[in-house]
Amino acid sequence: MKLGKIKINHYINYLVIGLLLIVLSSMTVAGVRFDNSLLFLLEKVAIGIILAVSLSLVVGFLGELSLGHAGFMCVGAYLGGKVAALLVPALGNGVLAFVISLLAGCAAAAVCGIIVGIPALRLRGDYLAIVTLAFGEIVKSLFRNTSYESFGGTLGLDTPRFDKKYLFIIAFLLVLLTLMVVQNYIRSKHGRAVTAIRDNEIAARATGINVTKYKLMTFTLSAALAGMAGVLYSYSNYTVQSTQFGYNYSIEMLVMVVLGGMGSINGSIIAAALITWLNTWLPTKLTGDLAVLQNLLYALVLIVIVIYNNAPKLKGFRDKYNLGVLLNKFKKHDASKINDDKAKWDVVPTKISMDEVLSVDFTPQDLGPDKEGGRK
Amino acid sequence: MEVILSTLINGLSLGGIYAMIALGYTMVYGIAKMLNFAHGDIIMVGGYVIFVVMATGNPLLAVAVAVIACVILGITIERVAYRPLRGASPLAVLITAIGVSYLLQSLAQIIFGSAPKMVTVYEFGSVQFLGATVQVASLVTMAVTVVVMAVLTLFVKYTRLGRAMIAVSEDRDAAQLMGINVNAIITITFAIGSSLAALAGLFYLMKAPNVSFTMGAMPGIKAFTAAVIGGIGSIPGAMLGGILLGVVESISYKITAIAPYTDAIEFSILIIILLVRPTGFLGKKRREKV
Amino acid sequence: MKKILAILMAALMIAAMFTGCGSEKSYTANNTEYVIGVSGPLTGAAAIYGKAVQNAAQLAVDEINAAGGLNGIMFKLEMMDDQHKADKVSGNYSALLEKGMQLSLGTVTTDPGKEFKNLSVEDNVFFLTPSASGDEIPANDNGYQMCFADGNQGKVAAQFVNENYAGQTIGLFYKSDDNYSKGIYDQFKANLDKSVTTVETSFNEANTTDFATQIDTLKSCTFIFMPIYYTPASIFMTQAKDLLAKETVYYGCDGFDGIDSADGFDINSIPQKVTMLSHFNSKATEGAAKTFIDKYVAKYGKDTLNQFGASAYDCVYALYGAMKKAIDGGKKIPVTITASELCEILKSEFQGGYTVTGAVTGDNITWDAKGYVNKSAIQYVIKEAS
Repeated sequence: MKLGKIKINHYINYLVIGLLLIVLSSMTVAGVRFDNSLLFLLEKVAIGIILAVSLSLVVGFLGELSLGHAGFMCVGAYLGGKVAALLVPALGNGVLAFVISLLAGCAAAAVCGIIVGIPALRLRGDYLAIVTLAFGEIVKSLFRNTSYESFGGTLGLDTPRFDKKYLFIIAFLLVLLTLMVVQNYIRSKHGRAVTAIRDNEIAARATGINVTKYKLMTFTLSAALAGMAGVLYSYSNYTVQSTQFGYNYSIEMLVMVVLGGMGSINGSIIAAALITWLNTWLPTKLTGDLAVLQNLLYALVLIVIVIYNNAPKLKGFRDKYNLGVLLNKFKKHDASKINDDKAKWDVVPTKISMDEVLSVDFTPQDLGPDKEGGRK
Repeated sequence: MEVILSTLINGLSLGGIYAMIALGYTMVYGIAKMLNFAHGDIIMVGGYVIFVVMATGNPLLAVAVAVIACVILGITIERVAYRPLRGASPLAVLITAIGVSYLLQSLAQIIFGSAPKMVTVYEFGSVQFLGATVQVASLVTMAVTVVVMAVLTLFVKYTRLGRAMIAVSEDRDAAQLMGINVNAIITITFAIGSSLAALAGLFYLMKAPNVSFTMGAMPGIKAFTAAVIGGIGSIPGAMLGGILLGVVESISYKITAIAPYTDAIEFSILIIILLVRPTGFLGKKRREKV
Repeated sequence: MKKILAILMAALMIAAMFTGCGSEKSYTANNTEYVIGVSGPLTGAAAIYGKAVQNAAQLAVDEINAAGGLNGIMFKLEMMDDQHKADKVSGNYSALLEKGMQLSLGTVTTDPGKEFKNLSVEDNVFFLTPSASGDEIPANDNGYQMCFADGNQGKVAAQFVNENYAGQTIGLFYKSDDNYSKGIYDQFKANLDKSVTTVETSFNEANTTDFATQIDTLKSCTFIFMPIYYTPASIFMTQAKDLLAKETVYYGCDGFDGIDSADGFDINSIPQKVTMLSHFNSKATEGAAKTFIDKYVAKYGKDTLNQFGASAYDCVYALYGAMKKAIDGGKKIPVTITASELCEILKSEFQGGYTVTGAVTGDNITWDAKGYVNKSAIQYVIKEAS
């Protein structure tokens, strides 16, 4: 659908979030007082969306796995929170102090992203996963062992909390900023280079793309955005404690990205909102020992969705029964038309057949169906 | 002198456990080309099986049942979660592995609760050696690790099955063309890795007599770190990396000033190694082919 | 164009969902009982403490209600799970307020307690925490502790060591990344005589099971101060039983309570002596503690019996007693009183010489101006050397 030259699909998420924000903030200005639990939920949803979208940049578009996203958030939360704690007495708890601490938090997280990215991203394979995992543990342990005066040590850092009546507005403005940065990056020349690297690194290298540079750039951007979410976190809580930012939190973000569909920004947004809401709602339903079922649910979501979406043998099944096909049945559209629309940036480009073009290797499929037990 | 000796022996026995886990990681990585994140949690399952069977009071039976259970678990995981993804992107396999790891942990938490359980497998006692008190269990751990590594190296080098493993590791498609049953080889690899994990669980219990649902997580991550430091895919490398990490950890805990930063130190070593020598100490350089 | 309309409709519908919320309102207006709110870990590794608080507080509430409540008005306990995480507290706290919370037991543990203390001062909600022992938990004037603050435990322990081990070498074993342990450790060190030399070693969250190196470090010590919880302590003792001298004395704080009933740990299998400094002994054989233990075990079993529960039981009675005293003194506490109004009443009581007598965790309990508890710590011998 087009409005003149502007494609509405590019802007649909800004539109929804922007509209929601305008309605809610005008209500706030008009004097409506929302329940605190709702305000807290909105803040957490915004933080969740920023995290999921930024992680999606690495997992969905770069095709690398980061298991230390919470670590970058932790750096942002501590550094941003510390700067805020120092500035607020001088500047007041206002927007200026917030912006400065936001920049500080983002910068700190970005620097960490570069430090972690340099050793891991020039290698091929699963190194980024393990290095980011290690990074998350290092950060946790370092902040936990700081002195009380510097970063609060075991007790955690005391941070100023923004007026909770208005924080959600800032939070959603940051969500819009994140979307703008990420979507423009993906649609730019750089974004296409990144997708090319994901689909075939060797081919991308052969066409002259500086693979390490683009990988590092994308990863650093993602880390900086996670740092931003961290600063927001520090502003929405009185205490920043490094134990919050453990492995489980990183996995939760991964679940959001996988549930939303890897490479789909809109999917990540919806999944982030859904999971954040589930995190507050499920504990009221699954009390006591049942609360563990939540983790079990996340685990199953990860396994089932990934196998369903990726298993080579399920391809025929997927093509027949997927959300797009089902939706198109209702719309009475021609399914092929949708796929021809090159403007659909938010659909993962299906694995380009670069492999087939460049590869002379035999794959088992070339030898007929890959039967159990290999050759018969 | 006495202090140095006892620290060293502690480090070596801890390193032995890491090496044992790292061997499993490195074999699966080398042959199935995947990072089996759930490997650490197989240790945990082994620990719980030992805990349950120890109700009979027979340590040998407990160990045997644990090894068998872990082998079955390893093969099942490979069949159900990883095999459908053969040929899919490495990222998909990695995320599934994390899902499996998370699944095992939550299942254990549901079944056994979150509080750790104490279990004493067998008490070897301790001996005096050059003035230092040495746990016999530590010596047993070290001895078994060395034997296992030697047997594995010989197995891979000199048996038909072992050579088939190398072939699959070098070039899966070519191996298949040569008549090697790739799926069977990968299943066997998982079985060997899982049985090593069960043994690691046993040694862990001899050192620290309690099981909890997170007991495999940290040793798993550290063992993978060890495997990368030693050179992923290399059997002696896993051994070397494990021992190195164990000794570093032991020394670091000994020095009061840096003790709180022990984990940070260990993981920093990983990052430095990847910067300086990405293939690890004993890893082979791989050439990318189109 | 249809699509834009659809988006507009969706946004308006979402907005309509929120319009139900009115302007500033009192959540306590519809209360038919006094509502006590508490946030604590009911799941995760610390669940055992949260459950103990939940059970014991409920026990006290039931008893008070069975006896006719406070002038006919009943009490109600609302507990929410925070999994021992600070970022769950903001949600829990506001949910509790919306459920009509008028007074609170704060949080069960210190990590989330820090967040709770800051949130509760905004709305002026009175809380008396049974077990969040961090030194800064009662920093604001609406917060009080029933347990000893960590720093105070460290001071008392240091005095004991100064008296008994002057000029000697003692061992120190603590958890470096834990609030409770570090809090006690810092004050212990600060108050220790120069004549006492220490051999220190620590562990952290990443390794709570393998203490070979630490035991080796402490080999020469015959007195070891261990401000840690009983689970790692029992693991340490099991591993150290043959490696440390039989005359060694383990000395812990209230975290040791429960060590003699730890799962799979037989305290009689170790030769060393185990002592602790605490306000409650779960093996008590007389007095209010015995009565509490009997009632608790009859209703909830032995598994979760510990000092957290005992302290929570006392908290409920202390709050009840203070409210009763205020009413007897001529103040009015209607069932729909707001948290802030009740807070002012309770603050004036707690600062006005209010004393709790005959409680489970001590007799003649008072509070100082900072909100720290004054009661006597008792040194218990859990097990003699054998």
